[in-house]
Amino acid sequence: MRIIVIGGAGLAEQVADALHRAGDEVTVIDTEPGREPLLAKTGLRAVRGDALVLSTLEAAGALRADVLVACTQSDEDNLVISLLAKKHFNIARIIARVNDPANEELFSQSWGVDALVSPATALVSMIRQTGA
Amino acid sequence: MQVVIMGCGRTGSALATRFDAEGDQVTVMDPDDAAEGRLPAGFRGRFLAGNGVTPAVLEAAGIAHAEAFVALTPNDSANIVAARVARDTYRVPRVIARLHDPAHAPVYSEFGITTVGSVPTTVNRIMQLMHHRTLEPHQTFGNGETLLVRSAVPAYLAGRQAAEFNVPGEIGVVELSRSGHSRIPDPSTSLESGDVLSFIVAAGSLDRLRSFLGGKWS
Repeated sequence: MRIIVIGGAGLAEQVADALHRAGDEVTVIDTEPGREPLLAKTGLRAVRGDALVLSTLEAAGALRADVLVACTQSDEDNLVISLLAKKHFNIARIIARVNDPANEELFSQSWGVDALVSPATALVSMIRQTGA
Repeated sequence: MQVVIMGCGRTGSALATRFDAEGDQVTVMDPDDAAEGRLPAGFRGRFLAGNGVTPAVLEAAGIAHAEAFVALTPNDSANIVAARVARDTYRVPRVIARLHDPAHAPVYSEFGITTVGSVPTTVNRIMQLMHHRTLEPHQTFGNGETLLVRSAVPAYLAGRQAAEFNVPGEIGVVELSRSGHSRIPDPSTSLESGDVLSFIVAAGSLDRLRSFLGGKWS
């Protein structure tokens, strides 16, 4: 599958790396400069830039991507990127990260989000299950 | 009118103050508690600490009953998210968002959000002042095809009638300020030295108006 992952070091990079090792064609978009060589070493394709600019998404192959993962640490960035990916690039599957659980209700089809990942909510529900 | 403003920085606080002065009910939000200090003493509106992107905060600000919403944060994504939620979820009739980075303009327009861009506005204004040094436009309409300009009446034109400036389709006198009072002049109003006139002018006729005022009366 052709997958675009947006976000910096941490979760986004780990997700990209795992997908890449599983044989998917992965491109990472990150605003932070100087990380391209690092990513290239692991065999990941990297595009440096602002994912809120259409040409950055295009350079990352948004026109033919199957999946986009909006995984930045900003909920508003993830929402806007998700809607752009769905509306402008018609990407089939959009997965977005929720940083603040109070924003979770926004992560729906109305913002182009097909599935959400909320680390905080996941952790809490796990604690509730095991801690009972 | 009930107005909700997101972002209480220099622009947000100034806008909130202005709405309040005009008798509107204002709620202004900012994630930074200290931003409340930018509002003047005697501000009758409400300040709410919180991020307007979060639905619960927007609700607490009274977005459900707002007639206008203005997103003024320095974060374009936050402005886009809040503006779109205000318009589509809460059906706020008037929604305006600040465009911070001009590179994001296509995103705002793709989502149909009306913007005010600090950078393009400043650039356009500077270019206007550069190009029309002697006649300073107070307002431009459309894409700058029509302008509102003000100019003092030169002494040698005292005694002339206001209507003498009018050129159909090019120049129209719309206002007269005399001794601190403003009025809409009759065509026959006689001009006095010290009067200031407001003209509505087609951009292509600025030179003509300039020559009228500069002594080359045709």
